[in-house]
Amino acid sequence: MRPLVLPAAAILAIALAGCRGPQSALDPAGADASSLASLFWVMLAGAVVLWLLMNGLIFYAWRAKPRPISSKAARILIFGGGVVFPTFVLFFLLAYGLSMMPDQRAPGEGLRVEVTGEQWWFRVAYWPEGASEPIHSANEIVLPVGVRSEITLKADQVIHSFWLPSIAGKTDMFPGRVTRMSLLPTEPGEFRGQCAEFCGESHAWMAFTARTMTPDDFAAWVEAEAAPAAVPETDLQARGLDVFLSEGCGGCHAIRGTPARGRVGPDLTHLASRGNLAAGALKVTVPDLIAWISHPEAIKPGAKMPAFDHLPREDIAAMAAYLESLE
Amino acid sequence: MAAHEKPDLPAHRNLFRMILAPTIWAIHFLLAYCTAAIWCAKDLGDPDTLTLVVTGYTVAAEVAIVFLGLKMWTQWDYLDDYDYVHSESTDEHRREFLGHAGFMLACLSFVAVIFNTMPVWFAGTCL
Repeated sequence: MRPLVLPAAAILAIALAGCRGPQSALDPAGADASSLASLFWVMLAGAVVLWLLMNGLIFYAWRAKPRPISSKAARILIFGGGVVFPTFVLFFLLAYGLSMMPDQRAPGEGLRVEVTGEQWWFRVAYWPEGASEPIHSANEIVLPVGVRSEITLKADQVIHSFWLPSIAGKTDMFPGRVTRMSLLPTEPGEFRGQCAEFCGESHAWMAFTARTMTPDDFAAWVEAEAAPAAVPETDLQARGLDVFLSEGCGGCHAIRGTPARGRVGPDLTHLASRGNLAAGALKVTVPDLIAWISHPEAIKPGAKMPAFDHLPREDIAAMAAYLESLE
Repeated sequence: MAAHEKPDLPAHRNLFRMILAPTIWAIHFLLAYCTAAIWCAKDLGDPDTLTLVVTGYTVAAEVAIVFLGLKMWTQWDYLDDYDYVHSESTDEHRREFLGHAGFMLACLSFVAVIFNTMPVWFAGTCL
């Protein structure tokens, strides 16, 4: 037995390491995720008890050499243990699980975030309470703590699924149909979400970051996010904006405060304030931006953005410097 | 073996009675889910009223299933001869087998109809 202890401990340590982190349903930072984690632990405890009970019975029958029991007692055992007991256990488990659902789908209290699944990124539009037009963003969800926010889910071409496990469960996104959920973060922090429905060749590269903050910080963030993009401060950044516009990037991408108003690809107005580039595939750094602009499809197979590797290296570097300044 | 024979009972040929209870279960399932889907899609009113309507279906279904279960129990006539195995090719064994199976299906349907209704009892919301 002893030689097995070390490998077993190592496997357990590796498995338990997956319980924490920014994308774990077992490390909740939202009211709904907490309910789901409780549900998981209750189910797990119940499963362990049943497993021990059944294996105990098998052990008793197989190794303990029990005395025979009467056929009537056997019938009661089989009927009671095989029919009555599971029926009641399933009834109470189903009642417990179902009774959680109304809270999980409670209506939002002010902010509405509209998330559209694209191939392969998340289009995000914030509708603060009373807003007449949305604030466009992409691949990042920012939410206030202690307030239940309404999430409206759509999809462009194929089915996706919106999953932010640290905050709540998942909800599918369908083309031509609007689904909804609501999120109630309870702790400030940074988290990671992921498309949870296979949606094509770069499905695995379709992630988003999420930030939760106090309502005051969130109000300040909304104000900053609604503002136009930063004006280039250096010659290199100014050249980058010129290249961006002259190469037609504005046909697909919008940068508010510039002539770029495209809505095909992600809004880049505050790209550098987001925690990721290309829906979680890269970071917003100059080297990553250069790599992405030069060969998007090498990073995300099937990405619709064309490669710009025909541009002089200096132009790409200038564009990367400009985009990296868009906080 | 039975103390007295009951030959030529139509019950020994009637498969329909045996599957009536699961049929009620299936109809209850369809009615409950279709009503809830239409109620929520067309916003026909308070979800509590929907819960009452579906509970009404459930009570009606359960009364019918209990009635059928008792009929099947009588057809099995277990307390008459304590026959639990119906392996012979006789009318009586066929009748008892169909009654036995029909009774068990009625018990299953009784529980299943409750499970069908649980979503409106415990998660009664259109959201």
